[in-house]
Parts: sequence; C-alpha cells; structure tokens
Amino acid sequence: MEFEVLARCPTTKARVCKMTLAHGVTMLPTFMPVATQAAIKGLTAQQVESLGVSLILNNTYHLNLRPGIKILEDAGGAHRFQGWTRNLLTDSGGFQLVSLSKFTTITEEGALFASPFTGEPTMLTPEESISIQHTIGADIIMQLDDVVSTLTIGPRVEEAMERSVRWLDRCIAHHDASGKKGVQNLFAIVQGGIDVSLRDRCLDEMIKRRDGVAGYAIGGLSGGEAKDTFWRIIKQCADRLPDDRPRYAMGIGFAEDLLVCVALGVDMADCVFPTRTARFGIALTFTGPINLKLQKHAKDLNPIDKDCPCPTCSDGVSRALLSHIITLETAASHAVTQHNIAFQARLMGRARDAIMAGAFPAYLRKFFKDYYGDVGYPEWIVNALRSVGVDLLEGEDVEVVQGDGAKWEYSDKS
Amino acid sequence: MANAPSPSPTSSFSFDLTRPTETSSSSRFGPRLGKARLVRTDGSPDLTIETPGLLTTTSRGIVPHLSRDHHRRTAAIRWVGLPFETFLEQVPPVPTLQGGPHPLHTFLGYPPARNTLVLSLRDPACAKQLPPNGKDHISALSLRGVRKVSKDEWRGYVAACNPDLVPRALHRMARRPPPPIPPTQSQSQSDTTTTDTTAATHPLNVLVHMAGGASIPARTAFAESLTEPLYGPDAALVQPLATLDQGVAGYTFDLVPLRNALGSAAPLGLASAPDTPDTAALAPLLRASLAPLPATKLRLANSPASPHEILRLVRDVGVDVFDAAWAQGAADIGVALDFVFPVPVPVPDAGSGLPDTEGGKIDLGHNLYDDRYASDFSRLADSLRAGNTNAQSTPTSTFISTSLSGSDSPAICPCAACSPLPPTAHIAHSNLDALSFPPKTNADADADAALPRQSCLPPFSRAYIHHLLHTHEMSAHALLVMHNLAVLDAFFAGVRAVLRSKPKSASSFGFAGEVERFVRRYEEGAGVFERARGMWAGVDRARGKGRLGRERAKNAPAVAETLILGDLVPVGETTLPPDTIIDLEV
Repeated sequence: MEFEVLARCPTTKARVCKMTLAHGVTMLPTFMPVATQAAIKGLTAQQVESLGVSLILNNTYHLNLRPGIKILEDAGGAHRFQGWTRNLLTDSGGFQLVSLSKFTTITEEGALFASPFTGEPTMLTPEESISIQHTIGADIIMQLDDVVSTLTIGPRVEEAMERSVRWLDRCIAHHDASGKKGVQNLFAIVQGGIDVSLRDRCLDEMIKRRDGVAGYAIGGLSGGEAKDTFWRIIKQCADRLPDDRPRYAMGIGFAEDLLVCVALGVDMADCVFPTRTARFGIALTFTGPINLKLQKHAKDLNPIDKDCPCPTCSDGVSRALLSHIITLETAASHAVTQHNIAFQARLMGRARDAIMAGAFPAYLRKFFKDYYGDVGYPEWIVNALRSVGVDLLEGEDVEVVQGDGAKWEYSDKS
Repeated sequence: MANAPSPSPTSSFSFDLTRPTETSSSSRFGPRLGKARLVRTDGSPDLTIETPGLLTTTSRGIVPHLSRDHHRRTAAIRWVGLPFETFLEQVPPVPTLQGGPHPLHTFLGYPPARNTLVLSLRDPACAKQLPPNGKDHISALSLRGVRKVSKDEWRGYVAACNPDLVPRALHRMARRPPPPIPPTQSQSQSDTTTTDTTAATHPLNVLVHMAGGASIPARTAFAESLTEPLYGPDAALVQPLATLDQGVAGYTFDLVPLRNALGSAAPLGLASAPDTPDTAALAPLLRASLAPLPATKLRLANSPASPHEILRLVRDVGVDVFDAAWAQGAADIGVALDFVFPVPVPVPDAGSGLPDTEGGKIDLGHNLYDDRYASDFSRLADSLRAGNTNAQSTPTSTFISTSLSGSDSPAICPCAACSPLPPTAHIAHSNLDALSFPPKTNADADADAALPRQSCLPPFSRAYIHHLLHTHEMSAHALLVMHNLAVLDAFFAGVRAVLRSKPKSASSFGFAGEVERFVRRYEEGAGVFERARGMWAGVDRARGKGRLGRERAKNAPAVAETLILGDLVPVGETTLPPDTIIDLEV
C-alpha cells in the first residue's frame, strides 16, 4: 500500500489521503458499500464502479460458506469471481460468528462454532481467517478479533481486548510468512468497548505493532451505544492512531455519523445501511432520508434529488414511479440502491473537495444546516464538532435537541 | 373522465410486409417478414422494428429486475407490453399526470426513439377469473383488488398516456365458454366495444383482440364482423372509415385464455407437458380469425409457451410478434437460456457443459440452481459467444453455423452477463476522483472503437450466478433477464435470416426444414424449468420473505440444512413471487 496525506483541514482533524492498492487508487475519506455475498444487492460490478466507487467490502464469513474457498480459488479470487476490478476489503469473519451463530464459543485458539453445513464443531483461528482472506484475495484484509457486543461491560470486555491483541500478533505472523504482504494489506482492529482505559491500552499495544499492519480499524462501536459515547471513543482512537496509516471506522453509515467521523480524523467507513434501507424504500438526500412508500410521494413526478448524478435521478425516475414499484419489484431496490450509494459517495466526495479547499468547517455547517435546520441539531453532534473547533451554533438560530438525531420520514405529516 | 381531452396522437403506426409481398391465399398463413414503423410527428426519430420479433413484458410498468441503465443496455427491448391496471391504485392514475408529448414513455423511462409501447388495460398473461365486465365498464385487477373502469375513463387514460398501440381493451369473449354464442350476438357485442376504442385513439394505432374462444365458427364470425360495412350510429363513430377493420393496425391473440378454453392446463409462461404441444390446436383457431381479414396487418401473440411454439405459429399462421414472458419468467427461476436458430451445422456433440439432454435432445437452457454449475466458470450459453472472445479462442468455434450469417462461429451474446463492458464513465464526486478513475486517452478510445470485442470484460460465469441464486441475491435475476432476452432476440434474428435467405440455396434447409431441425435438437418439455422452479422455491423458502418466522418455528440445525441444500419443493407448491426482497446482510 502507498498512503499519502494530500491535505489537512486547518481546523478539524479531517484529512484527504491517496491510498494506492493493487487494484488502483482510492481517495480518502471514502465510504465503502457492502457486497456481503460478492454482489452489491441487485447490481453488477460494472454498475457499482460507474457510480464512482473504487473500494467495496465482501464478508469473509459468508463467502467461506458460499461459494466456499475452493470455488473462489478455482475462480482466481473474489475479484475475478464477481467481476470487480477495483479495490476490495474483507472482514475477518469474527463479527458474523458472534452476530449470526448462537453456538460460537471463543477459546484462546480461536472461535469455535457449529458448522452450518454439518453442525459439527469448527474452529476459526486467526491463522485460518487470514488464510481464507488470502484466498479471497482482497486488497485489504482484517485481523480476526474477539468481538463482544458493544454494550457488554465487565471483565469480558478486557479479556476480548487483550485476546484481540494476541490474535493480532498471530495474524501478523501468518500474514508475514505468507508472501502476500506485497499485494494484500492487513489492518488491526482497535477494541476495548466503551471503556476509555481499555481503549487506551489497546491503542498502546496495537500502535507498538505498527510495522506489521498497514492500517487501523476502530471496532466494537455502532452497536447501540449512546452517541455521546460513540464520538468520544472515535475521537480517542483517531487522535492516537498513527498519522501515516489509514483509519477505518467499522459499521458507520448514517450521513451525520460519517461527517462527524471525518471531522475527527477517520478516513474510511462501511455499513449496510444505505443499501439495506434502499430495499425498504428509503432514499437518502441532503435534507434527510425520504420514505418512498408514503402516500405523499405517490404522485410526485420529481426525482429523488434533481441534482443527483446517479442513474436513477439523472434519468428522471420519479418518486411516483418508485413509490409504485418499491418493495414489489426488485428494480425499485436497484434504482434506490444506486441512488443511495451515489449519495454516500457525494457526501464523502464533497468532504474531500472541502478539505482540499480548506473549507471543511463551512461544509460541515452547511450540511448540518440543510439536514437538521428544520428539527434542531442533536447535542452530541454539536459537542463532537466543538471538540475539533467547529461550532455549529455560531451565527445560527437552530435549536439543540437531545437524542441520537437519526432522521427518518415516518409519516405523511412530516 | 367524461371531459377527457380528445386524443392527439403523436405517432402513426404502419406495418409493411417485406416477404411475401403479395398476399395470395396460399401465403396468407405462411411465415413472413415485416417492418413495423412508427412515424413520430413531434420531431422525435421514427422507429422501425423488424418482424418476426419479440415483445418484452412488464410488471407494474417496468421490465422486471432491470434498472434503467440495464434496460437501456438491452437492445432486445423494442416492443414493450404494458398492462395499465396496476396504475388504477392511485386516482387519477399517475402516468396520466405526467404530461408532455410522450407521457407514458417519459413516466416509465422508455425512449420513444427505441420503444413501441403497447398499452392494454389488463395483463394478457393473467388467467385469473375476474367479475364479468358490465355494459359500460371493464373489470381490472390491481394490488388493491378488482377495479371497475368505465369506457370513458379508459378512453381518457389512453389519451393522457399516448401509448403507441392499444389493443382493444378487453377480451371478454375469450373468457366465456365457447358457443353456444350465436354469431349475431357476438357481433353486436364486440362491435360496440371495438367502436368505442377505435374512436378513442388514432384509428391506425388500435390492435383488435381476436375474440371467439375455442370455437372456430365464433372466431370466424367475429373476424367477419370487422370487415362488414357499418350503418347508422356505428358508422358515424368511425367516419370516414367504412368498416371497423379499416381502423385497426393489427390483431392480437392472447394464448393463455385460449389454452384455458382448450382445456390445456399449461403452466403460465412455461411449456406444457412434453408430448402435448398444443400449437396444433391453436393454429386453426388463429387461422379462423385471420382468414376473413387482410393479410397485411400486424399479428401479435401473447404468452407463447416455447420457441417451438413460436416457430410453429410463424410457420403455420404467420404471426409477427410474440411476447417474451416465458423467457423472462425463466430468468425469475434461475434458468439461463441456451439455444439458437437455425441449429448450427453440424450439430455439436452433446458433451459435458451442454444443457441437460433428454432422449438425445438438449434442454433450452441451464437450471443454474443445479450443483453441477457450482464450479462451472464458463459463460452462460454454449451456443453464443462471450464478448471478450474472438473466434479463434472460443471453445465452441468448432461449431459451424449455417452460412447465413457468413460466419463460421457462434454469434456473440450482447447481454451484460456475457459481454460486460467497463463503465464508459464514472461519476466524479470530487475534483480528485480522476486519480481513481483516470480519463481515457484518445488512443485508448480509438483502440476500443477499432476492437469493440476486446474491450468487453470477461463474462459472468455460471458458477457466479449459481452462487447468487443460492444466496438469494437479486443480481442473478438482473443478469439472467438480460441474457434471456438477448438469446430470444438472437433467435428471432435467426428466424428472419432464414426467411430472408434464398429458398433452396446451398446449405439451406428452408424455414420449414430449419424448424424441424430445431424441434429435433431441443427438448420442448418443461423439465429444466420445473426443476429450476422447485429449487428456486426451496431457496426462497429458506432465505426469502417470512424466513425469520419460519426459522423460529424450526430448530436451528434443520434451518441450516435447508439453507445449504435448497431442498426440492414440488412445482406449484409455492405462492411467493420470485422477486421477494430479503435481507441477509450483516
């Protein structure tokens, strides 16, 4: 990996970086759409690329079950299998072992789980996870970490954090010995739950291992913690992680979260939110998500966003037509998925331009005014941005409100 | 809608037979070549479509599974059949609010320069029995139940949508049992309806649904009624035309109700039992309808069951346009079509990698749910090449196709699965994005233009689509729809090429001979479709809508097994639609 910081926001911690991987250049900050099963839901690789996306994510746990490593190997890797010629990131499979399997037991050796094929006990070790990811062939691969639910407290969190550090050592050793270091890049995952001291200890240990890793992820968040906790942990990690390594916030996808993370110094994020919510009829816009199932859109002949360059909006697909087919025709999912991916990319692309131009604070102020001007600024966002020198309230007469601030169009009245 | 605007069509339709040019009685029902032309009077380009050809079917106004960019990329989509009834869910129907010269084209995204829209009130493939139509209304089916549409309303909707062709709005006779309907009664009944619709649109943009059910006398009587001079109030309505037929552009046949009337229980969109091809029973009925009428008008058949049936209806009746419902339906259940017309000479060996064989014949396609494709990295169709291969490197280049195309290797399948093209443009989201997506140099562009085949990416493999099907990923169906439409389009191109070729020329078997070779080569039975449908249902049950509820009802290991094995479910057991949207991301 070549990693170069091109510009820094003079006020916040935001930065623009150029990350060069085996399958091309990805400009950071960026949002990564998730292709869980080797396809962005409903789209082809060419369609995703044409949206201006140069880095997507595959899930190791799923691909290991289907099609399986043998077939991916025969196909010549996951890139070739799904026709994706750009950069690819795979997770380690650890998160899904915990979230999808009721029978997973974590031992020092690895994660013991019931095989969905045979029901037999199967062990996923850090070495095995890395080997699987080597076969998949992603440009960025993730260490196997010991994942506990974000809201877990007590000694289990400390144990998981410490084990994640030990497993990182095993992942580094296995990756170093594989000869794949030149083309695949291992990222560490900072754990420690919502405990500031555990996070600090994890950061200490993982930063010591910087020569063995190409980048760092911030894991264990976006799992139901208070937003005020969320941004403080992100800030704590981003402040301490090495400047010459990309920083990846896992599982972050709401527009407001993304821009706060970027302001705090995060370079990359992924989430299924924009693609999943599309299938339920939610289209993302710069004034908040709209729910296409609502009657208020049924006769609206305007596109989701007349300025949006996505294939759906630029071709004039109306809200009324989407309302007519959403959740009934897969093509509606495809149309809104294309739009939502383009929305995330616009959000981050505008951030890049603003940072390059030294105008990121103004971009933040404009974005949040457009997004929350009608309902009030969530207090956590005001506080998070104040921590990096941007005061959303300066010169604005907008109310500050409690709550997480996730916007949703619930009814025809809103 | 009594005050609906009077129709102001912005296109006029004409149909010219290019072969045979004169219509002697002997050629009245033979295979024929034609050109359907729409002249757009609003300045948009005229549109000419060659026949025999296919009509793409739609659901809720759109081609199932295709996003706009995929739909635009699929050249096979020319004629488009649009049932209007789902738009009755909103009052007034939203397409009528669009405005502009081509409201329906605009609302649904069909370029007027490319697509001829055939707007019907009802879905011609729908076999559901609706309440009978009344004197002044038609019954239609929407998501919110049966809707009654008055003739005035329908007239207004058509006027506000400005489609290119309108089949007469209903086919109530076909839904009725065959005679005892005395010819006089059927005459007066149908006259009224036809007159209404004729007056509602441009006279030449109307297609008449040929009524009469499974009774040859009733069909003949209905057809004759179209050519009888009109008198009195009826005549005033169609002035200056002397007969109803002078006001219509062509004739449509809905084969689903016709098959029902014949008592054949063929499943919708898929072939009937292998040994009962019912074209033999259909053809005389269609001929009875056409016999009294001019042979020069367009003939459209909805819901043919198979390419075999299409070939017979071309050969024995002279039908010009067929809907592609069966090929599109095959994509819903995971079948990649793989057949060509004319069959290459010599017939390639039925070796491994070829579709299922039954009794020496091969299947019309591949059931990609089948585990045999799990690690099959070849392109979707053996009979058509991928875009990135040239003749020399194609494994199937030993096949010699008939010399019609002047080529000694299979044609290229242009679909987005077999010939994926790298994006021509990437949306730039920042000024830095050119670093990720460097603009093409002029030299690159020249090279692409000179060698378009080389610019194609490798085809999507059967293994990949097998994987997508078993993981319930919607991309599988998008790729398969584009492929199946392309295969069917190539089939019709082959039909036209054979019909264009000089009879008795060297290496030509003639059209009838080629039809026989096709029937000998390809299995007509629905075996591969039935197997695919069963596996589709299994995966859909394990991963589709309602999955969580079903999982709760079972214990976990049993669910895991279902999920992996995709257990077989008897045909017809499922009621879930194929495009059920689910969620398996984490």
